[in-house]
Amino acid sequence: MQLTDVEKRMRDGEQGEPVRMAMEILMALGEIYGAERLIPIRSAHVAGLSLKSHGLAGTEWAEDLAGKGARVCIPTTMNVIGVDRSRDLKLPEEWAKNQLRIETAYECMGCFGTSSCVPYYCGFVPRFKEHIAWAESSAVAFTNSVLGARDNREGGPSALASGLTGRTPLHGLHLDENRKGDVLFKVSAPLTNIADYGALGSYVGRIIGTRIPVFEGINVPSIEELVYLGAALGSSGGVALFHAIGVTPEAPTVGSAFGDKKYEIIEVTAKELEEGKEKLTSAKDRKVDYVAIGCPHCSLNQIKELSILLQDRKVKEETTLWIHTNVAIKHLAKQLGYVKVIEDAGGVVTQDLCTILGNPEALGFKILATNSPKMAFYAPGSNGFNVWYGSVKHCIDAAVSGSWKSS
Amino acid sequence: MTITIKGRSISKGYTEGEALVCRQPIGFNFGVDCSNGVITEYNHELFGKSIKDKILIFPHGKGSTGGSYVVYQLAKNKTGPRAMINLTTETIIAVGAIMGGIPVIDHLEQNPYDVISDGDHVAVDANNGLVVIKK
Repeated sequence: MQLTDVEKRMRDGEQGEPVRMAMEILMALGEIYGAERLIPIRSAHVAGLSLKSHGLAGTEWAEDLAGKGARVCIPTTMNVIGVDRSRDLKLPEEWAKNQLRIETAYECMGCFGTSSCVPYYCGFVPRFKEHIAWAESSAVAFTNSVLGARDNREGGPSALASGLTGRTPLHGLHLDENRKGDVLFKVSAPLTNIADYGALGSYVGRIIGTRIPVFEGINVPSIEELVYLGAALGSSGGVALFHAIGVTPEAPTVGSAFGDKKYEIIEVTAKELEEGKEKLTSAKDRKVDYVAIGCPHCSLNQIKELSILLQDRKVKEETTLWIHTNVAIKHLAKQLGYVKVIEDAGGVVTQDLCTILGNPEALGFKILATNSPKMAFYAPGSNGFNVWYGSVKHCIDAAVSGSWKSS
Repeated sequence: MTITIKGRSISKGYTEGEALVCRQPIGFNFGVDCSNGVITEYNHELFGKSIKDKILIFPHGKGSTGGSYVVYQLAKNKTGPRAMINLTTETIIAVGAIMGGIPVIDHLEQNPYDVISDGDHVAVDANNGLVVIKK
């Protein structure tokens, strides 16, 4: 790989050990993926900050770096974590203590403690064609696909390495020629809410692997629906970029989405959508003791809708309702009165944390209901929960009645 | 019978062990128990099986980008695979393996699924990009 004089000095340790280590990671990736050089990036987003991902080994690695003077040199946001710093949710003390060690280490490195999988709801919005190094699979899919930024599926440490150096190797989705579609999915299935988009992403993610899907027939999705489509594609599969004809910026037409590439066509009818939903359902017992919404974190509008659904209702005593968002959206939702409505109904609006990265299983829950395709996919492995998957209305009905009704 | 195949070295090192062949992609974050190396992803073909000390063959990684830290944790806890062989290694697996010192090779000149079976003795020489299979 060709390095500039400044980069050579960074590689040789003249800016300290953390920058040298960061260069080692980036150069290894560059060599593997045939990058000719490094390119400057505007921002980074570090993920994998839960104690579940870091473990004590990763925690010590991060603390060691911070102690050696590692400091980010571009805006670097932090992903969702495993505790809520504003309240005591009765999670085990040892867990909370070690989780906060990770948070502190990264904040010492100069990262923004936004602690969210949706930094674009907190003011960090990459522009069209801007090169970035973001981790968090759902955010990679969203920034690449919906905003048209240039990002590879970064792992947590490579995103940090980019934050410390302001650079990433030029390969993969940073190059326009690698951003054309592979498979056209003609969608005739009716898509009426977030859970439908999640089921679509779950079905397609399983068959597409790491290739680039192009959707035709999804005409008027909301931003939230696109976030959840990307989250499903990035969890059930390894998708970093999708296009939707007439919706996303690089796909005004089928021709522009594929260029001169040959492509396969797959139809998605109501039957395939149902298959996507079934794959996300792992529960049989209809008694629901835990309902969680907000993976990725809820937008302000989602919280408003939840407050409307919960107006003048009560969450059943044996059932717990957690709604996940970040500190910025929580603050607004509180100021606008939505949090009060939700809390009066017996729900909890959490900040910083989410179900799969936290450990609500320590509180004894067994059966989860959610409208999140990502949470439904990971919760059996991460939390040991059996899952019911459906619309937010279904989930709130389950929170109020304590049981899951078929649609 | 001994078969030697060339590949692309992703993460350097040399090791030997017993092959575990998996046809599905693996998501390490929330998909593996770091204390014992057992796969916990519901519906996965390796669900309930341990990858500890294996030469793990799988097509590529998937899912959560926190996976690099999990691969690193598995290496530090000594509960991970001894080496990994992929069709194409993506960045998340690559970085975790480099940090944790787990040898990884991909792009073998022969399809690994045609030549490697569960239980084969496999030597992975990721310093020289070679895989040696003893049947």
